[in-house]
Order: sequence, then C-alpha cells, then structure tokens
Amino acid sequence: MIHLSSPLRRAAIAAALLAAPFASHAADVALYPTGPSEDSSFVRFVNTGDASISLEATGSNATLALPPTKPASDFQPVAANKALVGAFLLGTQRAPINVTVKPGEFATVFGLVSAKGELSTKVVRELPEDFNALRASLAFYNLDSTCTQAGLKPAGRDVALFENVPNGEAKRRFINPVALSVQLVCAGKPQGAPLALGSLAPGQRYSVFAVPATGGTRAFFTNDALTN
Amino acid sequence: MALSVLAGLSILVLGESHLTISGSLIESLHDELNKQGAAVHSIGACGASAQDWLVKKTVDCGADRVGTGKAVVRGPDATTTPISQLIATDKPDLVVLVIGDTMASYDKEAFPKTWAWQSVTNLTKAIAATNTRCIWVGPPWGTPGGKYKKNDVRVQLMSRFLSTNVAPCDYVDSLDFSKPGQWTTTDGQHFTVAGYKSWGAAIAKAIAASDSAKAVAKTGAKPAAAAIPAAPGARK
Repeated sequence: MIHLSSPLRRAAIAAALLAAPFASHAADVALYPTGPSEDSSFVRFVNTGDASISLEATGSNATLALPPTKPASDFQPVAANKALVGAFLLGTQRAPINVTVKPGEFATVFGLVSAKGELSTKVVRELPEDFNALRASLAFYNLDSTCTQAGLKPAGRDVALFENVPNGEAKRRFINPVALSVQLVCAGKPQGAPLALGSLAPGQRYSVFAVPATGGTRAFFTNDALTN
Repeated sequence: MALSVLAGLSILVLGESHLTISGSLIESLHDELNKQGAAVHSIGACGASAQDWLVKKTVDCGADRVGTGKAVVRGPDATTTPISQLIATDKPDLVVLVIGDTMASYDKEAFPKTWAWQSVTNLTKAIAATNTRCIWVGPPWGTPGGKYKKNDVRVQLMSRFLSTNVAPCDYVDSLDFSKPGQWTTTDGQHFTVAGYKSWGAAIAKAIAASDSAKAVAKTGAKPAAAAIPAAPGARK
C-alpha cells in the first residue's frame, strides 16, 4: 500500500536506537546510536495533465487528489526498499503504481495523460549528491518525448541552466538564491512564455517539469516541500 | 582588561553525550563561557541528534546545568526538550549546538545524507523562526575504532556536510582545534578530562569570535559587514 504519512520512517529510526553500556573515565553512559540504520526516503506524486487525477492506495481508503491547480504533492517520507502499491485514477481509467524507493532517494511518480487521453505512470528518481543551506537547488524534469534536447535558460538570456535532459529523466543543480524566471527550450527553440519561479530561497529545493500540452510542451514549477 | 564579547549574554548550549559526562563540556565549555561573563544554560542528552531537539524524547542519560551551579545528571529518565520551548523559557541571545557524532553513522557503510539534511534543517529552521542567533559546533577528531567505530574519513565528511548545511547558524569546525588522535579518548569518541578542557576552551574562543556573538554583543563589538548573514527570519 502507499503510505501517506511517516510512521514507517520513524519506526525505522526507532529500531536503530540500540543501547548498551560502556565505561567512561568518570561515569557509565549508554552506548548511543550515531545515526539511523537506513537513510530517509521520500516519494511524491505529480499530475502532468490538464484534468484532475487522483491517487488511490491499495488496501486502504486513502486517496489523494491532484488537481491541475495543485498538480504536485509534497514529498512524503516512506520506508525504503518496500513496494508502494496503488493506482492513478482518471475517470474510468486506472494506471497502476508499484514503486520501491531506495534509501536516500527522492522518487517522483508521474500520472501521465497522452494526447489520446490515455493514463500511464512514470517514475523518476533522484539520489541527491549534496545539500546546501546557502544555495537554492533546482531540478528540471523532462516528461515530454516530443521535447528533444530539453533545457532551461534564464528568461532573456542565452545561457543554459539545463540542457539535453532526456525524456523521463531529471537533472538538478545548485543556483544562487535570487529571483528567477526561466524559459523552456526544446530542440533549441523556446516553448511558451517564460515561467516565473519567484525569489528562490537558500536551502530550498525546487522542480520545473516539462510536460506534453496541446500544441507543444509546457512547463510548471513546484517547491519540493517535505511532509513532516 | 577588555570585556569579552560574551559578557552579559544569555547562552543556551545543547548537545549530545559530550555534555553529559562528569568532566566533559558541561564543565569545561560551560565554565569558559561563564568566565567570560555569559549566563549559561547547558543541556546534554546522550544520543540525541538534531531532530530530537524538536520533540520531547526519552534518552539513556543526560545532564542539565545552569549558571555557576552543579550539573544535574540524569539517567534513563532524561529527556530532550523541544527547542521552541527552551528558547521561549530561556530567551537566549545565542543558541550553541554541539551535535555531530550522533549523526555520522560511523558504524554504517553509507552516510545517511538525506536524513541528516532533513534533521539539521528542521532544527535550524525552528531556531530561525524565533529570530535567535545560533552557532553549530561540529564533531572533533576521535580515535579510529572503538565501540562507535568513529573514523577520520567519516568525521571529515560529517563536518563538511554540517559546514554547508547549518546556515543561518554559524559553523564552528572542531577539526581545526587539534590533530587527529591528539586528544586522548576513552572509547574512540569521548575524551578524557584533558581533552574536554582543550575542546571546551577552543569552542568558547570560537564562539566569542563568531559573527553571531558579535551581532548580539552587549559590549559594542559588531561583525564585519560583509560577514553578516541574512536575518534568520528572512529565510524560508
């Protein structure tokens, strides 16, 4: 089943809190843990279409609506190496979800709607190389197979923030925490209007998604918030 | 003699077992800060990592010391106290965090970077939300091996990680205070009284030299303009 809250993660950490005695120079102190047995893992769900879809967790009544006005859920902590099973729902269509997240991973499960209206699922994984509280972290996900040589540029400037991101993949980088608008580029050509990201904050993580749209590729943006 | 930057400041010191043992930082660091005229409240909680200071969590041992009084040492009834509650009660000018060894996973092959990032940023955000200045003291060199499997490579990794992830807190790199293995340990991780005296004195000196301390100093010292971090409340 898909777990929409964090008890498994907390349980994993709690399981690591082993204790045994040792002798110090002055007093007995319990041997304490120096970290969890396993790194934290997160999953989020994103609707790439312009119609509302929902997420159903197998084995429970838990559902999550992903309307176009809020197409991305927060990242939710999950137990690593355990299958999360459910389905995206669009009308009478069901697209099965079966994803296992590795320790330290951030997995994004996309509900994709094709030009013919067919619903499917795609999982894109990130294993962060680093974190930084002084800079902003921006990812670019390409979910449109028609967008070749996908990239992002700062609006009005011919400088690549991201380039040649293959379909179904993501790249991430640190950038200075400043106000930023970006231009989606496919095959060297701008797609749509620049996308304003607002003032990026130090230490925060963000994502821009390129998805199929009527007449081309569109981009949208989210703050990669965590559910605590 | 010139007044210390720390004179008249209220300082809350939180940390792991390095602040719980007799002869540890709850004496050496606490006394050094007291000597410089600060009003100090130190709390140690064995095994507590950053996230444990967001909640009340029972730990195996702990200690609490206020001002010039003796440390009150606690056993299995010891708990952490949520940082927001501690700050609301103490109203400190500065919060000093001595946390690192409890988060380095010395005995594991992989460093739990994502967990550490989440834990550290949750705590720094909670402190920033109170507009209180903070200083994070990273882990010192230990002796490779021992029960905790502390090792030089991982302690360097932990220190580097903290140095780029504790903002808006200032970072104090304890690895600069000694050479690997210079301070004698009892178990690879905890020092003898002499080691804690050296570490405590070095931390107190670094705190007095920090931008955070200068920013809240009551003796007129101010940080260099270029080094003033963004106002904590301005950070998301």
